[in-house]
Amino acid sequence: MNFLEILVLLARGAGYTVLVTLACSATGLAVGLAVAMLRRLRLPGVLPLLDVFTYVFRGIPVLVLLFMVYFGLPGIGLKVPPLIAMVLSLGLIAGAYLAEVFRGALDSVDATEILAAEAMGLSRLQVLRLIELPQMLRFAVPGMVNEFTTVLKYSPFAYTVGLPEITKQAMTLTATTQRGIEIYLAVGVMYFAIFRILLVGVRWLERHYRVPGMVPA
Amino acid sequence: MTATPLIQVRDLVKEFDGQRVLAGVNLDLAEGDIKVVMGPSGCGKSTLLRCLNRLVEPTSGTIHFRGQEVTGPGVDVRALRQGIGFVFQQFALYRHLTVLGNVTLGLRKLRGLRRAEAEQKALHELDRLGMAEHRDKYPGQISGGQKQRVALARALAMDPAVVVLDEPTSALDPVLSREVAQLIRRLHDEKVTLMCVTHDLQLARSIADQVVFLDRGVVRAEDSVARLSADHPDPQVRAFFGRETGT
Ligand SMILES: Nc1ncnc2c1ncn2[C@@H]1O[C@H](COP(=O)(O)OP(=O)(O)OP(=O)(O)O)[C@@H](O)[C@H]1O
Ligand SMILES: [Mg+2]
Repeated sequence: MNFLEILVLLARGAGYTVLVTLACSATGLAVGLAVAMLRRLRLPGVLPLLDVFTYVFRGIPVLVLLFMVYFGLPGIGLKVPPLIAMVLSLGLIAGAYLAEVFRGALDSVDATEILAAEAMGLSRLQVLRLIELPQMLRFAVPGMVNEFTTVLKYSPFAYTVGLPEITKQAMTLTATTQRGIEIYLAVGVMYFAIFRILLVGVRWLERHYRVPGMVPA
Repeated sequence: MTATPLIQVRDLVKEFDGQRVLAGVNLDLAEGDIKVVMGPSGCGKSTLLRCLNRLVEPTSGTIHFRGQEVTGPGVDVRALRQGIGFVFQQFALYRHLTVLGNVTLGLRKLRGLRRAEAEQKALHELDRLGMAEHRDKYPGQISGGQKQRVALARALAMDPAVVVLDEPTSALDPVLSREVAQLIRRLHDEKVTLMCVTHDLQLARSIADQVVFLDRGVVRAEDSVARLSADHPDPQVRAFFGRETGT
């Protein structure tokens, strides 16, 4: 078996790695946005809940939460499929971190622009959607790239709940071929390739939405 | 004998944490008129303007806008705000939107115009202020004076009953300040109702015959700059209006 063949076999696992990464990143994005927005709206009574959520989910290790969801929930009669278990652990943890990224980015939106939008007669929700959100997302790009990369790097935990992603494939291959060094080198190459593709995508988005002369306030 | 004024402020009080910033302000602004408010820094000029459209909630007193009390509960604040065009000291253009996008936003989201209609109206306003050729630039790409014009165009596009300007020249150099003064005079000639807060004596003199002097939370005087600087009984008032602007 040559290096190329190893790569091909690993590529089958890559599909799962990408799937897990995308599902968890998307969940993190949605949850992070929702938390940051709710915080921004200052709805009475909601703030403590958001604080507890970000506090808990930033503190708990991914693997512990994953096991709690996948092995613990069936104990109370809730059987969770592997991908959903990943989303409920890694995805929610990413959400808690992204919520903080977005909170910082929202603080960088110029307060007088928000005041001007309110003075114009826009509703609080319109101001959030039309002014704060579009600016905030641009400011948050570096933090988002960081978090998506972290999700990618935590995706190997998926094998512990039975998803045959890259790392799992590598372990199987190593066991049968005894060529650990080459195989894990190939694994490294694959993760790097996925990372590059992610980065290219982000750069494209960034260029497309770039606003000349706009920097955080 | 005269019709009810467009804006009528009575005994307006605003306290921030027990500190009285406005201590009973009375003010009338008739339709088509221009009112210039001057006063030392921190005397409550911005607060007064912000009470008009409820960006700041007055503690007590009344404000009538187009004959309607607007300080009570149950007032449609968003409708009120749409009738008052606000131009901020730092212009406050939306940085992620182009010049054109800044002016069309309110037309589309508040007036419900379709994009093409909104752009047509916006370009008309921008053209009026000589900014149409910069329509595709972002705020980060234009000068302070140009931003000021865009901010004005953005306010005017909504056809407000009154345009309110908070220190429109304080971020501009003397040449641009004179341009803004010209612009304000022109809007006044076009029957736009205006209220302008400023530190700039030269601006005040060149856009209005009379100025309102706000100090320690109340209107101390309303007269021409010349009389306020020469004849007013209060030496503090004379000193304020007698000072050299250096511009
Ligand atoms: N949101 C607020 N909370 C507490 N105090 C405030 C607030 N806004 C204004 N003040 C205080 O009210 C006073 C008047 O402020 P305001 O901005 O109206 O003054 P101004 O006349 O516009 O001053 P300037 O000429 O410097 O712009 C100041 O002492 C200020 O510190
Ligand atoms: Mg002020």
